[in-house]
Amino acid sequence: MKIRAFLAILLCRLLRGLSRLLHRGGTAMPGSWALRLCPNLLEWLAKDLKILAITGTNGKTTSARMIEEAFAKQGLRYLANRSGANLASGIVTELVMNADLRGRSRKEYAVIECDEAAARTVFGQIKPRVIVVTNLFRDQLDRYGEVTHTLENIRAAIQGAPEAVLCLNADCSLTASLALDLPNPVRWFGLEKGAVPSRPLPEISDATHCIRCKTAYEYDYVSYGHLGGFRCPACGYRRHKADVAVTAVPEQGMDGSSVVLELDGEKVLARVNLPAVYNIYNAVGAVAGVTAMGLPLQTAVEALASFSCGFGRMEQFPLGKAGAKMMLVKNPAGCNQVIDFLQQVQEDFLLVVCLNDRAADGTDISWIWDADFEGLKSLERRMKQVIVSGDRALDMRVRIKYAGISDEKIRVERDYHRLVDWAAQQELPVFLMPTYTAMLELRQAVVHKVGGAEFWEK
Amino acid sequence: MELKICHMYPDVLNLYGDRGNVICLQQRLRWRGIESRVTRLPIGEKAPLADFDLVFIGGGQDFEQQVLLEDLHTGKDRDIRAAVEDGMPFLTICGGYQMLGHYYETYDGKRCDFIGALDLYTVGSKKRMIGNYKFQCAPESGGSLVVGFENHSGQTRLGSAVKPLGTVLAGFGNNGEDKTEGVRYRNVFGTYSHGPLLPKNPALCDFILRTALERKYGRAELSPLDDAAELAAHDEMAARIGAGVKK
Repeated sequence: MKIRAFLAILLCRLLRGLSRLLHRGGTAMPGSWALRLCPNLLEWLAKDLKILAITGTNGKTTSARMIEEAFAKQGLRYLANRSGANLASGIVTELVMNADLRGRSRKEYAVIECDEAAARTVFGQIKPRVIVVTNLFRDQLDRYGEVTHTLENIRAAIQGAPEAVLCLNADCSLTASLALDLPNPVRWFGLEKGAVPSRPLPEISDATHCIRCKTAYEYDYVSYGHLGGFRCPACGYRRHKADVAVTAVPEQGMDGSSVVLELDGEKVLARVNLPAVYNIYNAVGAVAGVTAMGLPLQTAVEALASFSCGFGRMEQFPLGKAGAKMMLVKNPAGCNQVIDFLQQVQEDFLLVVCLNDRAADGTDISWIWDADFEGLKSLERRMKQVIVSGDRALDMRVRIKYAGISDEKIRVERDYHRLVDWAAQQELPVFLMPTYTAMLELRQAVVHKVGGAEFWEK
Repeated sequence: MELKICHMYPDVLNLYGDRGNVICLQQRLRWRGIESRVTRLPIGEKAPLADFDLVFIGGGQDFEQQVLLEDLHTGKDRDIRAAVEDGMPFLTICGGYQMLGHYYETYDGKRCDFIGALDLYTVGSKKRMIGNYKFQCAPESGGSLVVGFENHSGQTRLGSAVKPLGTVLAGFGNNGEDKTEGVRYRNVFGTYSHGPLLPKNPALCDFILRTALERKYGRAELSPLDDAAELAAHDEMAARIGAGVKK
């Protein structure tokens, strides 16, 4: 065993060195080979680390960056997997790069973002102390299957770590149901009634019927998607009171929000460094996770104001006269939040939507019809042009046309370098909405033009 | 002119962008100056189907299937059978399509009775039939080439009382074996095609609209629309599937 682990670690480091020589990221490939050589390498590498793991459909990366910032402020020696290397292979690579050849970690703590499907094999091996589950939405049905299937995956994953403290989104009836039959201690986070204006349930909700008894839920309020004050009138399953709660949101702006956080009776005002309601959820989930690890609330709060996420998540670039903002979209719930965010834009603007259908995006692009692009209709006067791009640019053009936007306003441009050159000449602010693999390529083209970190450096 | 569209079970049968079909039906009517009204009929709500001109049913998750069947058995199954026989136009996708058949038998032999409006049944298989695919509609369904995305493990077999909607050119279709795709019976159109089906296949969309308008008004002229965007997306995918590039 020991010799296998040693060889696997050696191989992983060599491959990583090679990747960097060739100017590739090498964030996952080396670990993938190492795992073939030594399948339980993760367990070996993780045994002395104090790990906080994050999973769920949306917000994993942003939450991880917030948590990481808190760890850094606290002066902890930690490692973190980044840039979407959130499968077992990417996690192994990161652990190897932070360990010596005998697999002893040079760090004491770890922030591990983990894909919902991969969690099943990963959690049992790395035994996190704290697990944050952000939310559950329909996502890449061809890859993950139905949302209830993802829920079962996460449940099975947590069964491998029965000691871990669970930080669960109290407002998500799917996520919250994990507490029904798992023995783990639970710390709830969420938004209280009135914190943000309640909105109607979306036409497409991912959780209309009680997970326990299948009766239609009733809601006291809805924050976004199916998140909110749900209750089942038949069996009594309902939102649990949040231990870490946002009780008010005094200000929501283009660059961030001010929120009132309440934890164990203590109220603090916090600044969240990214805009939109979904980032308020990320923030309160991160605070729940950080404090569950034993760090002070004040450290968590300071981290929310100073962290930077980058990497396509509301990332601002000095591109064009008024700048460009890149807003990664992966599924209907996240896409709706971004379209919602655009409603706040008061000036004229330009929109770019890049749709790919590669494995990491989901090969089935029909989700764009579940997203409410109809929300763009009310922006039509300010939205001066829409550029569609990516492998499935033509499908996106049809989607936007059927949302009621004049086809004359829509232009297809598939070459990212030409697209970026165009954006660089614009007077108006540009909003870029790419799917995951489109984001990687588009971001590279933008960085090439204006400078910025390569993805593995973020 | 006006079409009254019934969207059955939008609360639970709404996977894979199926509501895009309803958006498409409505827009293509609106662009021609024809009114339309969509009535959503979720679980627990009833309305006489005869009041509508077109019924749409999408696909869903397994999770809600039991709730759905209970609701159907409150008498909606009878209403649907009667409407089908009466010539009501239906567009049904995937789960909604299977549901109109006799039954669904799971891979391990458990049988779940469906509503029996159409002479077909579905048997679960271990293989998931998934990917972009294309089929040629039969002449009685307009004869157009359709591109879509299928994602099902059920294999559907058609009985002698119904016809397929089309013939599979690439992909799986009803069962991956007999090259049939979907079903046609009276004015029912059933298919496995998500995508959603209609936006990239304007010829089929207009064929269904014409069927509904003719039934209501005797005859219907649909003025031509500028389908450049739709056809570009259609043609690109048709070529990509045909070329055997990644499915």
